[in-house]
Amino acid sequence: MELFVDFLKNTGYYLADMRYILMICVGILFCFLATAKKYEPLLLLPIGFGIIVGNIPFFKGFGLGIYESNSVLHYLYFGVTSGLYPSIVFLGLGAMTDFSSMLARPKLMLLGAAAQMGIYFTLLSAMALGFAPKEAASVAIIGGADGPTSIFLTAKLAPHLIGPIAIAAYSYMALIPIIQPPIMRLLTSRKERLIRMPDTDRPISRKELLCFPIIGVILCCFLAPASIPLLGPFFFGNFMKESRVVDRLAKTASSSVIDTATIFLGFTVGASTQADVFLTYKSVGIFLLGAVAFSIATASGVIFAKIMNIFLKEKINPLLGAAGVSAVPGSAREVHLVGLKEDPGNYLLMHAMACNASGVIGSAICAGVLWSFMMR
Amino acid sequence: MLGLEAISAQNGWAMAITGTIIVMSGLSILAFIISQLHKIIGLFEEKKKASSHFVQPAADFEILNDLESTARLYMPLTDELGDRFHLTDLYRIFEKENLPHPHLTIRSLRAAEYLLSQGEGLFSWKK
Repeated sequence: MELFVDFLKNTGYYLADMRYILMICVGILFCFLATAKKYEPLLLLPIGFGIIVGNIPFFKGFGLGIYESNSVLHYLYFGVTSGLYPSIVFLGLGAMTDFSSMLARPKLMLLGAAAQMGIYFTLLSAMALGFAPKEAASVAIIGGADGPTSIFLTAKLAPHLIGPIAIAAYSYMALIPIIQPPIMRLLTSRKERLIRMPDTDRPISRKELLCFPIIGVILCCFLAPASIPLLGPFFFGNFMKESRVVDRLAKTASSSVIDTATIFLGFTVGASTQADVFLTYKSVGIFLLGAVAFSIATASGVIFAKIMNIFLKEKINPLLGAAGVSAVPGSAREVHLVGLKEDPGNYLLMHAMACNASGVIGSAICAGVLWSFMMR
Repeated sequence: MLGLEAISAQNGWAMAITGTIIVMSGLSILAFIISQLHKIIGLFEEKKKASSHFVQPAADFEILNDLESTARLYMPLTDELGDRFHLTDLYRIFEKENLPHPHLTIRSLRAAEYLLSQGEGLFSWKK
């Protein structure tokens, strides 16, 4: 009988409290949003299930939890804390990215830079709210709207915040269809939203596509060497794709490799949200600041596009500024849809992808810059 | 410490301004370079042309005014891609084969519905 009672005391049912149940509900909500609503299922499904698994209460000391050394989850989580998974995701992302639309419209790259203002605004806000500088930088990078970049920087600067920051970053990426359109509409007039972009500026040669990753990696990584772990694999993946001589490698990087990393990244980040570690006032602050960061990033892209229009002869549709955040391809799709709503014949997708691609580069540079600032 | 005082104490203003300048200038320089890239490549190609006897690449096909014949001629090129393929793969094959005006041709074939959308970004030839 005593053995049975001991066993019962070690079960999750006995050890559970409201915090764990709340987090499991959040996990179920994520799984619901991924499967029923199809909101970013590639991200929300592994994270959601990870949250459920990570919040099953257990007897401490068994080597079961993600924060206990020698547990399987802990070993898998090493890919997050070391920055390994984000680098692998960037490799696959590079192998999937087609830069031709960006190369055809280089001026749209500036919108990718402008949308990074959200990061620096949030850096200041987080510092003002009492976050330590390294924590503030980790929170600020949510404004880049790039999950792997957020995780990478947080792993380097404030590993104890990986859970809330990753969940906030991915949640806001999944909520793009809800967050971005109202900001876009608020900041633009109908006349501006109706601006049509020219079909293509010029054809892009294979040589340009081949040269770009080499120029990009040299220029960006010389400027911010701390972004090498992200931009190095990113441009390498793209070079493999564009070289067309290692199709097998490029296909593997853009399918099996990135998929494997995404599975483990999502699952372990979800599992890292153990209620006793995750449910703190700091997490609430991170979620609030994340929303601010994301909104400011969207707004600064749109406003910068409007400023550019003052000087440009051929106006650009300011909605494109919202695609400067690096949530690929979610924000580009949203810009396209908002444009289509106003004018069913206005196709902004390829232009928005140009901003999106430069946003990925911009946010990785920002991560490198912040990391190097904090190391001083 | 909270508020503006905390920002100043942690050197926040300098970080934000410097960071903004770095990312803006980095991407501006990159944008400038890629806007000039085709000219630089063009210069090298001009040099190459001048130093060697230039042989016009033989085009296997001519753009035909008749889109139906164009579609028929191009269909075998996608055999390796299977029945359904991405337009980017088709574009790549057109480029590899040195076919003239790949963008325009694909657009015309789509508009004339010789290339039919099968959803999820995939296309197939009209049977």
